[in-house]
Amino acid sequence: MSELPPKEANLFREILKCYEMKLYKLGFKGAEQILKKFPEHGETLAMKGLFYNHMDKKEEAYEFVKKGLRYNLRSHICWHVFGLLHRSDKNYEEASKCYINALKYDKENIQILRDLSLLQMQMRSLEGYIDTRHQLLELRPQNRQYWVAVAIGYQLTGKPELGIKVLTAYEETLKDIPSTPDYEHSEMLLYHNSLLEEAGDIQAALDHLSTIEKHVCDRKSLKEKRAKYLLALGRLGEAEAAYRALLSINPDNMAYFEGLRTSVGLGGEKLSAEEQVKVLELLKGLQKEYPRSNAAKRLPLRYATGEAFVKIADEYICSMLRKGVPSLFVNIKTLYTDKEKEQAVEKLALGYLAALDKSKGFDHSGPHIEPPTALLWTLYFLAQHFDFKRNTDQALGYINRAIEHTPTLVELYMTKGRILKHAGDYIAAMEALNEARELDLQDRFINTKCTKYMLRADKTVEAEKTVVLFTRADIANPLNDLVEMQAQWFSIAAGESELRQKHIGRALKRFHQVHKYFVDYTEDQFDFHTYCLRKMTLRAYVSLVRLEDQLRSHPFYVRAAHKAIECYINLFDHPEGADTEEMEGMTEAEKKKYRNKQRKAELKAQQEAEDLKKKSIANGDASKKAGGAGKVDEDPEGTKYSKVEDPLAEALKFLKPLQDLASERIETHLYGFNIYIRQKKLLLALRSLLKANKIEPNNATLHEQLVRFALEVQKSSPKPGVKAVIDQHWSTLYQGQDLVAFTAAFLEKNKDFGSVNHVISAAQASYLISSSDNKNSKSESLSKGEKLLFSIQDDQYQKTRSVENAILVQTLLKKWRSSRVQEWNEKAKTWYPRATAFK
Amino acid sequence: MNIREATLDDMIPMQNCNLHNLPENYQMKYYFYHSLTWPQLSYVAEDEKGRIVGYVLAKLEEDPAAEPHGHITSLSVMRTYRRLGVAEKLMTQSQNAMRDVFNCKYVSLHVRKSNRAALQLYRDTLNFTVQDIEKKYYADGEDAYACRKILRED
Repeated sequence: MSELPPKEANLFREILKCYEMKLYKLGFKGAEQILKKFPEHGETLAMKGLFYNHMDKKEEAYEFVKKGLRYNLRSHICWHVFGLLHRSDKNYEEASKCYINALKYDKENIQILRDLSLLQMQMRSLEGYIDTRHQLLELRPQNRQYWVAVAIGYQLTGKPELGIKVLTAYEETLKDIPSTPDYEHSEMLLYHNSLLEEAGDIQAALDHLSTIEKHVCDRKSLKEKRAKYLLALGRLGEAEAAYRALLSINPDNMAYFEGLRTSVGLGGEKLSAEEQVKVLELLKGLQKEYPRSNAAKRLPLRYATGEAFVKIADEYICSMLRKGVPSLFVNIKTLYTDKEKEQAVEKLALGYLAALDKSKGFDHSGPHIEPPTALLWTLYFLAQHFDFKRNTDQALGYINRAIEHTPTLVELYMTKGRILKHAGDYIAAMEALNEARELDLQDRFINTKCTKYMLRADKTVEAEKTVVLFTRADIANPLNDLVEMQAQWFSIAAGESELRQKHIGRALKRFHQVHKYFVDYTEDQFDFHTYCLRKMTLRAYVSLVRLEDQLRSHPFYVRAAHKAIECYINLFDHPEGADTEEMEGMTEAEKKKYRNKQRKAELKAQQEAEDLKKKSIANGDASKKAGGAGKVDEDPEGTKYSKVEDPLAEALKFLKPLQDLASERIETHLYGFNIYIRQKKLLLALRSLLKANKIEPNNATLHEQLVRFALEVQKSSPKPGVKAVIDQHWSTLYQGQDLVAFTAAFLEKNKDFGSVNHVISAAQASYLISSSDNKNSKSESLSKGEKLLFSIQDDQYQKTRSVENAILVQTLLKKWRSSRVQEWNEKAKTWYPRATAFK
Repeated sequence: MNIREATLDDMIPMQNCNLHNLPENYQMKYYFYHSLTWPQLSYVAEDEKGRIVGYVLAKLEEDPAAEPHGHITSLSVMRTYRRLGVAEKLMTQSQNAMRDVFNCKYVSLHVRKSNRAALQLYRDTLNFTVQDIEKKYYADGEDAYACRKILRED
């Protein structure tokens, strides 16, 4: 605080206090008072800027903070304030530079060091974090937080053993350990134990548990760890006892069963006949001990085979049908990876139905009569079973019988809808779900499901009307409640529907919402960097940090990213606007006319939206009160996203996190190829192919991409350096074959699997290869592609044919402007008579 | 069905489950807050495929005026996974943790006045008693039953 006289210096200290206590207006007044007399006092200017920031005046904030800094470049306060300003705008990089400058002028400022360390953690500059945290520890060695923070830094950089040293040193300084367990202390000790485990010294970790036992509040966690360590150390008898004890705490925890099974020497996936008998014996005992445990009842189905399976499944399924457990099929279905089990279950269930119809019992053996609901749930089960086998007629037969039996049961209509969806009739599916919804208007779950089906049927208006029945009613735009509450499912399902309808801007808007949810999740961790050190919930905190590091490998993100990339590729391929379904097969002139018509309609819609906006601004009080969720949508069509300069560059932004975090998934590289090949970045495209080839060399889509790549290389004659790299990998990818032979070999290799997707890929490849050669006429190329696509009607492809891939073929034929689209539809109709796509 | 303590990894599916089932929703940070303050109190139910189909999100009420007690922030089970006693099992585990880890004397929760199924679960199956009616507790103006259950007699 340079050059202020005592009175103002005091006042300045006051305004710093105001800032800490969040009294921004008061602080602002104080700053103005000083500035009246000393208009060039840098630190006061900076503080005034900081107060502006909290009064939502960004421009003024930056103006004053920068001005303050200009008057006093050597003030740690000015630099700190500038850092805080950047931080509040989430510009962590700049903020940390400012803090480092601030520390130049005040090396031991605890507050600044702490603020810097938070940024370093947020940005995962972990070496820097450790360094800063060390300085803090030296300045405040009596404070527990500073010790554990250093340990965490070491753990996150893969040096748990150094973390252990730090914690041990700290624990040695402790004089009076509370005699009754104290939660925070207990959490620290358990954290210490987790470091021992992570360092790989299981014996030490086990011994440590005994020394900390009397200070631990979280007894269950202690017992879990002990059981785990005993098992890892091969002390099987003790491990068994430990797992049995855990099961008495929670007899529905699968991990405990798994631990027990392993500790009695019956672990592993493949069991011998003898082991199988023993496992079933073990589980039988546990069932007796814990008659209410679902897990103990269910697990035998996993291990039993043959006759034993039939007997156990019979008992299990009967009891569940008797009780009317709606999730029975979903639960049983996971066993169907074993075909023998699938057939056994089918036989059992059909047997129940026959017996119930005849004698009202599950079997013919006795006089036992089941309640009438047993028939209902058996029909429900069979409907789902045959739907699983995509036997639509049979499935519908059972579900209709069930509905006749009990017309008021919501679940039945849900299943009916599901069957119809699988059959490709999205409209009828949606109608069934709507019937279900109307049977229970109080239930959000069925409302959610119904909305999803409406979106699947691309009925956007109905879906939006339905979904808002359960959102906050007090805001101008209730749909925004879903966005504010981070409803991933809605943004994804709505975006996919818009994409199907080729409303690219609207689709991208939804996928960017998902992107924003993940940005928020990342942002959310910031406050916990300090909070958890205070609360000592360190084990949970480390899980948070690790979760955040992997966040974008989450299926929600992956799915939204894939679809967003598809949108951007679509924008690139159709810069003048995407072809909608109606436009497929039109000539360019027709398309132009059609687009003009569409544009006029769009303008009209925009005008209407504008009017609506004005209206809601006029009576805008309500929306203001509700905060962000009430905001009028400025860009309902998402033009902000569809009118981008470089769609492929935008697509790459979605791809990057996938390359970092989901590189083991082949889709990442297939999508990557689709972007790079359009950018004509041959080496990056090649890298994507090589990665995909490593993950799944026989992937269907990969073949078509390989052919596209080879044709692009031929066409573009790359620079010698690039060519040399490509040549180096050529034989790995193409096995020295020319493209025609390569595709023939691909077909030959996959002939016996009868995979439709592989044929589609080969058809695309053949079409491309033939079209690339000027010698071939358009119709020649076309007939090559068509011939392969129509081979899908052969019996050998029956198993892998689906509504989805039949639609894929249809789309491809339309894209090629084949004259055989109608013929395909007729054919597909015979397989999927209900599917709307072929009508 | 697997019943286990919730981890940080469960927070996204938990939020998803909540948004499917209930009208009271929360942003992710609030889930993180629960799991990072009282990691022992929240539980999830996982189906055979590892999908989260039910959860209990719970906390400690640390009002300095009252003695510390557990509080159920949110509990729900996907409709299609009912009749397996999942809600009860989740509640039991969470309550035990409140008692054993945090030494709670009782646990409290709110139920919508119109939600008869939930009230039945809490009152009849889980032995909660209705303490009070809180007028207009919910955002839409509905009243809530304030329920309570003793966890520890001493």
